[in-house]
Amino acid sequence: MKSFRFNALIHSAIALSSLLFATSCEDVIEVEVINKNPKIVVDAFVNDQRDTQTIKLTRSIGYFDSTGSEPAITNAQVAVVDQSASLPKLFVFQHTSQGKYQFVPNASNGDTFTIGHDYALLVVVGQDTLVSFSTLNPTTHIDSLRLVDVVGNGPPINTTGYYVELMAKDRKGPGDFYWIKTFRNDSFLNKIDQLNVSADMGNTSNGQDGELFIYPIRYNGVNDFLRSYKTGETVRIEIHSINAVAFAWFNLVISENQNGGLFATPPANIFTNIVSLNPNKKTALGGFFCMSAVSSLSVKIP
Amino acid sequence: MSRILLFLIVNSLFSLASAQNFTLSGYVKDSSSRETIAKAQITITVITKAYTPTELRSTTNGYGFYSITVPQGTHTVIVTAPYYGPITTSLQITNNLEYNFLMAPDVESMGAVTIRTKRNSNVKSLDISTQSINGQTIKKIPAFLGEADVIKSIQLLPGVTTVGEGASGFNVRGGSIDQNLVLMDEAPVFNSAHLFGFFSIFNPDAVKDVELVKGGIPANYGGRLSSTLDVKSKDGNKRSYQANGGVGSIFSRLTLEGPLAKPESKNLLKPRKTPAKSSFMVSGRRSYIDILAKPFLPENLSGSQFYFYDLTAKANYSYKRDNIFISTYIGDDVFKAAGLFGVKWGNSTVTTRWNHVFNKKLFSNFTYYYSRYRYNLEFTNRDVTFNWKSNIVNNSAKVDFNYFLNPKNTMAFGGQATHYRFIPGEAIATSSTLNLKFGLPDRYALENAIYISDDWNANGKFSIRAGIRLSQFIYLGPGKVYLFNREPGKQGILDSMYSTQKGEIVANYIYPEPRLGFKYQLNGSSSIKGGYNRMVQNLHLISNTAASVPFDVWQPTTNNIKPEIADQIALGYFKNFNGKHEFETSIEGYYKTLQNQVDYIDGASLLLNELLEADLLTGIGRAFGLEAYIKKSSGDLTGWISYTLSRSERKVVGINNDEWYANRFDRLHNLYVVSQYKINEKWECAANFVYSTGTPATFYTGQYTVQGYVVPDAGSNARNNVRNPAYHRLDLSVTYHRKKSKKFESNWVFSCYNVYNRRNPFSIYFATNYKGLGQNEAIRYSVIGSAIPSISYNFKF
Repeated sequence: MKSFRFNALIHSAIALSSLLFATSCEDVIEVEVINKNPKIVVDAFVNDQRDTQTIKLTRSIGYFDSTGSEPAITNAQVAVVDQSASLPKLFVFQHTSQGKYQFVPNASNGDTFTIGHDYALLVVVGQDTLVSFSTLNPTTHIDSLRLVDVVGNGPPINTTGYYVELMAKDRKGPGDFYWIKTFRNDSFLNKIDQLNVSADMGNTSNGQDGELFIYPIRYNGVNDFLRSYKTGETVRIEIHSINAVAFAWFNLVISENQNGGLFATPPANIFTNIVSLNPNKKTALGGFFCMSAVSSLSVKIP
Repeated sequence: MSRILLFLIVNSLFSLASAQNFTLSGYVKDSSSRETIAKAQITITVITKAYTPTELRSTTNGYGFYSITVPQGTHTVIVTAPYYGPITTSLQITNNLEYNFLMAPDVESMGAVTIRTKRNSNVKSLDISTQSINGQTIKKIPAFLGEADVIKSIQLLPGVTTVGEGASGFNVRGGSIDQNLVLMDEAPVFNSAHLFGFFSIFNPDAVKDVELVKGGIPANYGGRLSSTLDVKSKDGNKRSYQANGGVGSIFSRLTLEGPLAKPESKNLLKPRKTPAKSSFMVSGRRSYIDILAKPFLPENLSGSQFYFYDLTAKANYSYKRDNIFISTYIGDDVFKAAGLFGVKWGNSTVTTRWNHVFNKKLFSNFTYYYSRYRYNLEFTNRDVTFNWKSNIVNNSAKVDFNYFLNPKNTMAFGGQATHYRFIPGEAIATSSTLNLKFGLPDRYALENAIYISDDWNANGKFSIRAGIRLSQFIYLGPGKVYLFNREPGKQGILDSMYSTQKGEIVANYIYPEPRLGFKYQLNGSSSIKGGYNRMVQNLHLISNTAASVPFDVWQPTTNNIKPEIADQIALGYFKNFNGKHEFETSIEGYYKTLQNQVDYIDGASLLLNELLEADLLTGIGRAFGLEAYIKKSSGDLTGWISYTLSRSERKVVGINNDEWYANRFDRLHNLYVVSQYKINEKWECAANFVYSTGTPATFYTGQYTVQGYVVPDAGSNARNNVRNPAYHRLDLSVTYHRKKSKKFESNWVFSCYNVYNRRNPFSIYFATNYKGLGQNEAIRYSVIGSAIPSISYNFKF
């Protein structure tokens, strides 16, 4: 988060200087790359809510292929194990379609995920058994969503109208990590520059703790300044608890997505927290497993 | 090593005892301005008892001082220096004699008169892998937007490469940009770039000469692995007032210089008969792109500021055996978009020097300097203003002696102590309700060195320069010390940390750095030279991009970051052709190994990261190459051709599957052609051609999606496995000299950079979800994407 804000800054500085020169240029060129060894990709973000939980298994594709064409893995066995329960409890995710494995929690018979428990992910694909671990950390609650009426008069706010300020405090004590998801009329603001993660109340765990999230997170991170909220629209914000490793992983995804230009750094491989138990076969793996608790609040624009 | 030194000393004592000798000493100076001339060679041929002629030689030091011991009698003295016409005089030596030689610049002596005296100073000098350029030459090379540039000229020399336009600094023999010690009047500068590397911070009007040492580095220099770039500013004309300036498309510059004394006549421009004891030079530049761009800016950016300036000033005073110099450099770059963000960065240095001639053989120089590099970053996000600054400040005291012991031995010895303060990042966030200070703890260090070196001319043919430098680096408190658990190639995990008191020693590194050079004179116009040097570096530029980000942070050696070490051997053959046209040629090879090179874990966070050291990896490096050079310095057509074949690689545990990979600035072939042609008194033209193999790059190969976000994937973890296309470029310029009057000279320079409109890629980067269109693309990024014509006007009176 932090580094991408600085990058954005540096990009604007260079954009300014190139404006003066008007000599720099970018053009799209044809480059051939070979995705030699497709990775098995596990997309496993599971939360404590009552709605259907999904884990998705696919294989990676070539860098220039169109996204969405990832081949699905449909013949795997997927389960999440509650390791903190007195007897380890198995939650089996059944394949539905296109590599989606789903589980419907059932509160009446205790088939739910519990805050504070340690979970393990188990995936069997062919000869590989893949595992990963995650603790379901508590999240923080949202006090209110404050509506701000702004006259947009240039950067960063270009459009006049309503914006939302997330009034929520970081949990007391260091070591809390959050993924803050904003939905406009139930559609998730999913652009990479809207990916909003927080370490305690700020961009890094540097001792700021227990107060309102800092401005870039509680305001910039939950709005699209090119599109203010209009009367009748609903805004919902969810705060998902994550952990330090997931926070680092999200930041890498952000910086790799925004890497480029004059200040490009060498492409970095984004790590995964999924490991294979098969010692002989070096199966290439990607993806992430994270258990989250969720708090949420909606507001309707008057 | 110490045995050799002892031998040299004993040997020289014996030779001292034998003769009825006198000492000839003094300065070599420019005949019109009285600027001193460094590295001038004084050669005296004496006939010994055996009636065999022997050449006695002395070379002026950095302050133009020489001393030579000669037998009684009348001798022919030949003085040569690069860019000056040689002089020949006859001197009768019956006593110790102080004598100053005055030399006229080449340009004046080059008319119809043929130069009869052969120069050959490049062949005869002990320096290997050393190149010097003077201010005049720099100005003649066609330059970007018509602005002559010191660093851009350096980039045309053999063994020097650059990543491209927009990259600051330069790479010497496979070293990274922070491995060059860039000195402005003895004080180091930490960022030599204005405007993200488009221009360098040195004003060519204020520069007397520039010397780049790439190998066989003498013992008086230390602290960086790859090279020393010694930039000397002009002292200021001691005879007449002079103004120099220019108006270009990007900036204007003005230099004033002259004697600091009561004028001899009412006409201030008339040269004095007796040069003044003191003189001054003030030189400044400022860009005005901001003023020109103002009407074209969108309204919300109208309060924006973007400019840079630099100011170089110097004054000197000479009295009998003492010379005092005070010089200063201040430069800043300012970028400010009103209400959004602002950045400012710059160097400043102050140097005071005192030269004292203890006796005819012992010359001394005492230096104190202060040097600071700082940047500020400010941005406003609604009501919150965020202000960040970072600094590196150093204070240094230094003493250097040159002891012209006898014609066979010239010694140099001295020492230096430098105190560093690093402010890696101090940030303040303020709003109506908030005042939050955070940042990283300051770091302190002390760097000491002593050195001794002897140039020993064994016989007429064989000479040796042997020296040793003992360097010490102490990482000091107060501060925080971090201890990490480390697995090779992985991010360190914080084990513990503690605070230190002021002056507490956290880490102490002492290294001997042997230096050696030799020359074997084959004949009057050819020689073989070799050199070895070990260098140790304790300041590390933390940057994982190739471009010049002014926000790059300098880190000292700590308990976690070890000193970088380089060992280099170089061997060269030098030959001059002294026919109707003079050619200097040389071919040199080098091999360099490097230790403790800094690299980064994937996704390292380099800014405001308290645990930065955990994200650093260290590895080894190697670089080798061959450099061929041919230079023509007389006649109407002058210039040089330089070709370098080179390789620079690195091996770091945790990167590229722990195998060797090419450095970001590795280029196999480098061809530079620099030429100037004088058509007549009015017209001159010049052309440059540059060709370099493309730089290496890492490409993504695959991708996948998690939670709707695209995760790009570099597959097998191969670093720098693909080559960007080659870089090549042609620049042309035409200079029109207006009719000279006695007092006023001026010229127009029409130039064109990148004449044939080549889009040289600075980098090819991969854009994930390019422009939000859902498709990944490969993007060629060219900093200069077209031909750039320009006009500038220069004057002198």
